[in-house]
Amino acid sequence: MRRDRTFTEDAHRYLDGEPAGQLGAVERSAADRLVAETRAYAERLEPVGAALDEAVMAAVRRQPHAGRRGAWGWLLTPRPVRIRPVWIPALAAAAALALWLVPSRPDRRIPEVGSRAAAAPDTVYVRFELAAPQARSVSVAGSFNGWQVGALPLVRVADGLWATTVALPVGEHRYEFVIDGTRWVPDPTAHAQVDDGFGGQNSVIVVGPKGLVRS
Amino acid sequence: MQPSDGAVVRQVLAGDVEQYRLLVERYRAEFGRYAVAAVGDRDLAQDAMQEAFIRAFRSLGSCRNPDRFGAWFFRILTNQCRNAVARRRDVAGLDGVDPPGGERADAALERQELGARLEAALARLTPEQREAFVMKHVDGRSYEEMAELLGVGTDALKMRVHRARDALRATMGEQP
Repeated sequence: MRRDRTFTEDAHRYLDGEPAGQLGAVERSAADRLVAETRAYAERLEPVGAALDEAVMAAVRRQPHAGRRGAWGWLLTPRPVRIRPVWIPALAAAAALALWLVPSRPDRRIPEVGSRAAAAPDTVYVRFELAAPQARSVSVAGSFNGWQVGALPLVRVADGLWATTVALPVGEHRYEFVIDGTRWVPDPTAHAQVDDGFGGQNSVIVVGPKGLVRS
Repeated sequence: MQPSDGAVVRQVLAGDVEQYRLLVERYRAEFGRYAVAAVGDRDLAQDAMQEAFIRAFRSLGSCRNPDRFGAWFFRILTNQCRNAVARRRDVAGLDGVDPPGGERADAALERQELGARLEAALARLTPEQREAFVMKHVDGRSYEEMAELLGVGTDALKMRVHRARDALRATMGEQP
């Protein structure tokens, strides 16, 4: 009867190139054999060739201009939006507020945003909070800062709670929190979440000049 | 000096589509080997990679950090490779898997057999295990690099690689 054997922890360390204890003869032989098989496989592997480059370029030249997929493209692209029913009155109020504002602010400019920026007339201080007890760092990234990770860090303020205050331009913004520099999570308290097109969710915040519409 | 990914992405978004070729050349060279090993068939891998580049172009305005285009593109590529593997399994079944790359007259027969055996065993891994094993042992990446590209922690990746090795050992047996 054949018994399938798995590698010992020492053998895995050996294969990872880490310091490992003494391996038995069978274990060493199996590990070396796997290395040899992999090397042989890698040597005979033909990677995707340069012919791909022109095929891709021919295809993208026929595509709509990528730049149109920026802010305007995003706005003009139909996409499903999931909104919690409890926030529908708040969103209706935000829409009414936006309609009321538009004629009175023909020269509205979007100021640069930073965590320590003084609030310009068209900006509102917004406090972002996230409960993340295990996190080593948390930042917020969004359409208001070019989705730069780490540019707007939150500070730990209480047991597992992180927070920061950011001056945001009036308007609608999309954002997510970034935990430990790599893990993107939507804001669980946001009034709406939208599909980011890659299987994730972006949180939405709507900022009005006389206050903030959010949860 | 080659422009950064971020600079190229901004040029493309500003309308200079031809600059996209720089990204295609850069990441075809970087991930072309991975794609073939992850899919197990060179032609299907090429199709998957082409589709990934086209999807990335269409969505370039959504790339949150253009300076990290490579990691963003890699995730699109990984999804396309997984789709290709699923289609391949549907069409051929596991027993229909052929070693990639064709036969090379200048390679020693024994090495060809070794490589073909591993290819057949790789086809029986889960997509996650196969990706992790290929990145670690075929591409020679560190666990930190893998974590950066896949957005998965190093401990989880080590686990995937360890399970892949155990599964390969079980499939290939102890003797040649």
